[in-house]
Amino acid sequence: MKIEDLTTGQKITWCPGCTDFGILSGVKQAIVNLVNNNKIDLNKIVGVSGVGCYDKIYDYININFFHTLHGRTLPTVFGIKIGNPELTVIGFGGDGATYAEGIAHFVHSCRYNVDATFIVFNNQVFSLTTGQATPASEKGLITPSTPLGTGEKPINPLTLALTCGGGFVARGFALDIPHLTKLIEEAITHKGFSFIDILQPCISYHNTTQFLREHIYKLEEVNHNSGNYEEAMKKSLEWDYCYDGKPKIPIGVFYKTEKPTYEEHWPQLKTWHKIERKPDFRKIIEEYKS
Amino acid sequence: MEKQILIGGAAGQGSAKTALLIGKIFTGLGYYVFNYRDYPSLIKGGHNFNVLKVSDKPVYSHEKSYDIIFALDQETIRLHGKKLNEEGFVLGDKNLKGDNKVSIDLSSILEKIGAPRKAGNDILIGALFKFFGLPLEPVLKTARKEFKKNVEIIEKAIKEGYNIVDQKTELQKSQAQEKYFLTGNEAIASGAIASGLDIYIAYPITPATPVLHILASKQIENNFMVVQPENEIAVINAALGAGYAGAMSMVGTSGAGFALMTEAISLQGISEVPLVLYLSQRTGPATGVPTYSSQGDLKFAVNAGHGEFPHVVVAPGDPKECFYRTIEAFYLANKYRIISMILGDKHVGESNYTFDEFEEPEIKPSRFLTTPSKDYKNYLITENGVSPRSVPGQNAKVKATSYEHNEYGYTTEDEKEVKKMNDKRFKKIKFIKEEINKMKPVSVYGKGKNLIIGWGSTKGAILDAMKKLENFRFLQISYICPFPKEIVKKEIENSNEIILIENNATGLLGDIIAEQTGKIIEKKILKYDSRVFTSEEIINEVGKVLK
Repeated sequence: MKIEDLTTGQKITWCPGCTDFGILSGVKQAIVNLVNNNKIDLNKIVGVSGVGCYDKIYDYININFFHTLHGRTLPTVFGIKIGNPELTVIGFGGDGATYAEGIAHFVHSCRYNVDATFIVFNNQVFSLTTGQATPASEKGLITPSTPLGTGEKPINPLTLALTCGGGFVARGFALDIPHLTKLIEEAITHKGFSFIDILQPCISYHNTTQFLREHIYKLEEVNHNSGNYEEAMKKSLEWDYCYDGKPKIPIGVFYKTEKPTYEEHWPQLKTWHKIERKPDFRKIIEEYKS
Repeated sequence: MEKQILIGGAAGQGSAKTALLIGKIFTGLGYYVFNYRDYPSLIKGGHNFNVLKVSDKPVYSHEKSYDIIFALDQETIRLHGKKLNEEGFVLGDKNLKGDNKVSIDLSSILEKIGAPRKAGNDILIGALFKFFGLPLEPVLKTARKEFKKNVEIIEKAIKEGYNIVDQKTELQKSQAQEKYFLTGNEAIASGAIASGLDIYIAYPITPATPVLHILASKQIENNFMVVQPENEIAVINAALGAGYAGAMSMVGTSGAGFALMTEAISLQGISEVPLVLYLSQRTGPATGVPTYSSQGDLKFAVNAGHGEFPHVVVAPGDPKECFYRTIEAFYLANKYRIISMILGDKHVGESNYTFDEFEEPEIKPSRFLTTPSKDYKNYLITENGVSPRSVPGQNAKVKATSYEHNEYGYTTEDEKEVKKMNDKRFKKIKFIKEEINKMKPVSVYGKGKNLIIGWGSTKGAILDAMKKLENFRFLQISYICPFPKEIVKKEIENSNEIILIENNATGLLGDIIAEQTGKIIEKKILKYDSRVFTSEEIINEVGKVLK
């Protein structure tokens, strides 16, 4: 298949020059590569999104897709996997949706370890609602809802994911599409819950392009051992998501380990819609006969 | 013939289990039993009690005066002793003090047969059935069936109790036929299995938890899945995810959990992923009185979810109705791609009722799935508003969404498209109504010029009260959404006095009747002390209201 096969013909309404375009093409390219290499079945791919600028990806990619509520991507991903474990599910979230509204789901999804992928468009602001701070915003960020600047340090999604048991924890950069494409491919083929936090400048409300370009480096260039949990933790703490000083910002796979998936725990779990059930009414109710 | 038996003790002493066993023995002997359960929110200590009404004719409620108080502790006698009927007596260990008491030296019997303390309850059970002059063998048979462990010692204890006392009275003979004895929660779980349930998702909350437990215990045998995620928000979103993927999904909760679910109820409305929801009401607001019953969430259920969309709310009045209404709920949800809410409460959910028969359901399970064409439209506009349902994984793209959309599911904000999709969704109501009209949306009991109107779990006490009320009909409204307004209006117009009976503070069904039919019911009997009606209370209140 070609990348054009994933086009929907819907009008794209992201800001001209939005970094979402890059992420969209990375996602599409990863799917094309995996389908062409017979790693996944196009018909069995399901996208899931919540609400935010990023959610428009629903309209721009020709795959099965459930566009759910703000912050609720992950429980829906979970539900789809137990509804039909044969599906290849890719969830999308924003930093507001994931680290504010849906934080409980994020914590538990790392624990549950369903075999699915979760990609966060982390631009560190609520953009669709005109640029308010999120839990991922750097300390001191002045926005319309925080005129005095945010008082808290941002959440570190990678450390959090590692702490909660995430088996595949990675960081991508929206302005390095070939690198991101590879990451997404690796996440999708990884067995278990795969999480990628994508650093993404928002050209309208949080333009970090210059800073990120200057400080980002690739983990594969420093021989990072992604099988080592302590090393992964250390690397995740290298940058605190703030924009002062001269931090080193690693991207790539921080941690990767295979553990039993949620699905494997359930002997009865299957592709339910393929089962024709004929419940024995008498047997069910007879249990209550005295 | 009617006998009222109260069984009380501290939490952990086994009063509920004892009451259940006594109920099963009586129903095994062909009697009709109603078993009311009263317990505070704690695990050990406090005061729990059950009230059994036993009769040779159908009974559906409990009373507050007793023929026998089966006391497992002193507190039971202190709290209920004054409510003994004229010839009533207390049954209990010799260490307990009280008037009109039959005392049994439990300790020495237990020592003699080498039984643990808990078997004291079984000694008292043996005595109880001897008082009524009922045969021992059926008592032992039911006990054997009920207990898998320590059966021998339990049998011994029952026999000891049976032999140590004399018969006190003769019970009217029952119909020999065995009966069904079950709670609303058991019936809802059974109805879900009979509907072809694939996945039940819930977070623990009284009084809906028993459905979670029952289904969890049956999941392997019946080949379905029961999951308890991190909170109710995850519960319902996961259920919609599973439904989108093709599973027959159901969730269960009570008021506080339901409040968290309302956001996704709205998502159901626009995404049209089928879902069945069981809402077991308890006393609110907020934490309220969590182990007691109420009908306070009627309008909350009817109006749950932001925006407007069609949905079904059905309120069963007893466990038998719980069973069939659950099957209907699955059918309507999956056929019409809507949410069906089964509105129960603690009273119908946790009380045991007796029934003679369960007829084979007419509705057979179906997922209502179609094989999609390549050009599949998940929101195809059709004559009845129902778009053929399909699931991902086949040769088509299934787009489901919370955003307003065109027929393919692509996002739209175009005014014409928005209206078209609303019209499509609301078209379903007419067809759902036609279906519901065949499902007995209301029931009318009795004959008379005056009318009692109620819904849900008040049915039992009202029916028992009707035995003594003259010139009354009882209109039970089961389908609240869509509301069967034509029938309700006609019943109201054909009546002299009209009395609304509800287990809430403001008469919520009365509001819905007024909204739907323009009829305002002035006379109301409302109970909102977190306890449920007895038939005697209803008889008294009806007398007062009509004065």
